[in-house]
Amino acid sequence: MIERWALVSGLKGDLDTYELIQKDLKKTPGNITLFVLGDMIGPEKNCNRLLHRLINPKSNDLQPWCIYGWWEEQILLESGYRGDQRAEALRINKGEEVVKSLTNAVDKSFLDWIAALQFGFVELDCGLIHGSSKDVGENLTLDTPPLTLLDRLTRLQVNRLFTARSKQQFHLELTEGIVNSEVEDLNGNRKKEQKVPQKAVIGIGAGKNYTLYDVGTDNTQFVQAGYKTEKRIKGFGRL
Amino acid sequence: MNQAVISCLHANLPAVEAVLKDIELQGITNITCLGDLVGYGPQPNEVIELIRDKEIPTCQGCWDEDVVDGLDACDCSYPSQLAEKRGHFAHQWTTDKLTTENKDYLANLPYSIRKDKCLFVHGSPNSQHEYLLPDMDAFAALERVENARAEILFCGHTHQPYIRELADGSIAVKIKNAVPKDTQEKEIQLPMRRIVNAGSVGEPRHGGTKATYVVHNDVTNEVKIREVEYDIELTCKAIIDAGLPPIFAWRLKNGFEFAEQAEDASHVCER
Repeated sequence: MIERWALVSGLKGDLDTYELIQKDLKKTPGNITLFVLGDMIGPEKNCNRLLHRLINPKSNDLQPWCIYGWWEEQILLESGYRGDQRAEALRINKGEEVVKSLTNAVDKSFLDWIAALQFGFVELDCGLIHGSSKDVGENLTLDTPPLTLLDRLTRLQVNRLFTARSKQQFHLELTEGIVNSEVEDLNGNRKKEQKVPQKAVIGIGAGKNYTLYDVGTDNTQFVQAGYKTEKRIKGFGRL
Repeated sequence: MNQAVISCLHANLPAVEAVLKDIELQGITNITCLGDLVGYGPQPNEVIELIRDKEIPTCQGCWDEDVVDGLDACDCSYPSQLAEKRGHFAHQWTTDKLTTENKDYLANLPYSIRKDKCLFVHGSPNSQHEYLLPDMDAFAALERVENARAEILFCGHTHQPYIRELADGSIAVKIKNAVPKDTQEKEIQLPMRRIVNAGSVGEPRHGGTKATYVVHNDVTNEVKIREVEYDIELTCKAIIDAGLPPIFAWRLKNGFEFAEQAEDASHVCER
């Protein structure tokens, strides 16, 4: 059976969207694993119902595998889970009201669960993270210099990096690369030509926009929850 | 004009004096220090005061940071828990010996110094603790220099001097699944960049006993690694007299990278 990953992020407490995605995935052929790459919470709405559902899936739900994202990092900072640090970046950029809204949106009983979430998953040769392998808050986009993208792939030692922070959906392949290195030290000189094997960075989207990844063919499909993709798609991977 | 770059002095006063003398003999007055003034060696205050007196611009090294911040650092290069224990002992010894004034000096050192196209750091532009080893992934090495907006990155921390040139690079990219649907392809040319590691004045780990530093000519862009002999016996005696682990002296005298072989392969960095 075809193995597919559903990659979701940026729900920010939106249980309706999550239910819509679950409904979509029930109709999607293949053996599907659901990954939620952070930002399950946000300051805009109460997140408790969604968190409860993620922790306690309904019997017919796909089991969600969650990691923490930028908003989870902010609430953990503000709640003292990161030592003396607080969510100062959020406070400075969005103001005290947003900090309060965030802490009010999440019941304290969920904080231990959030704190236990991992930074990312490495599945096969793929890294699944919220921002980048350098920082949970780093935006990787089509405009990020390829050298930076390559570095973020190298840090995790993966060939595919799925990222959510930018909210964008894209599939950027690094098809080939080369650089010549010459080192001089006390033992003399040595030259080496280094090449890049094919790698890719995939932006999975946010909220209703999520991504299906076909593990066998390396194809991505960008989906909008509730939108009937079946009629639009011929084959897999091209909209 | 020639400039000298020194690093990793590690409280070894005879080595620092010998290197500064060598620099002076070449008529070089422009000196930059990449940190780690203290740690392992027996003369932390003397070395700091010498650098301060000569007003040599200096970055903060990992030992300088950790002694000040009390992090009691895990240096990931420790080959064993025994070596790490000795390192921690040296941290505490150094912390106890340093004057308040010298601790303040270390605390206020900058992470990096920029001079035109040159960036000076202790470990890497990311962290004083990151090792830029001579044979690390070439693209990752290039990324460190390029994202720091430098043409030449001067670093230390590894205690192994080297000059690395990264040239003739390119990366080809293709956007799949694009909106609009057209596949977009392009090739990006990568700039030529250099990483220059100054090695170590006070605790060489290049297989020999000589102190090392580098000289850079900012007109010709030529870089030379200099090796300098110093009175090792004097430092070794000071290490013993100070009550520091005698193995530190043995290592210096023999030019060994580490004082012992890794005996605990499961050792995991504390950070």
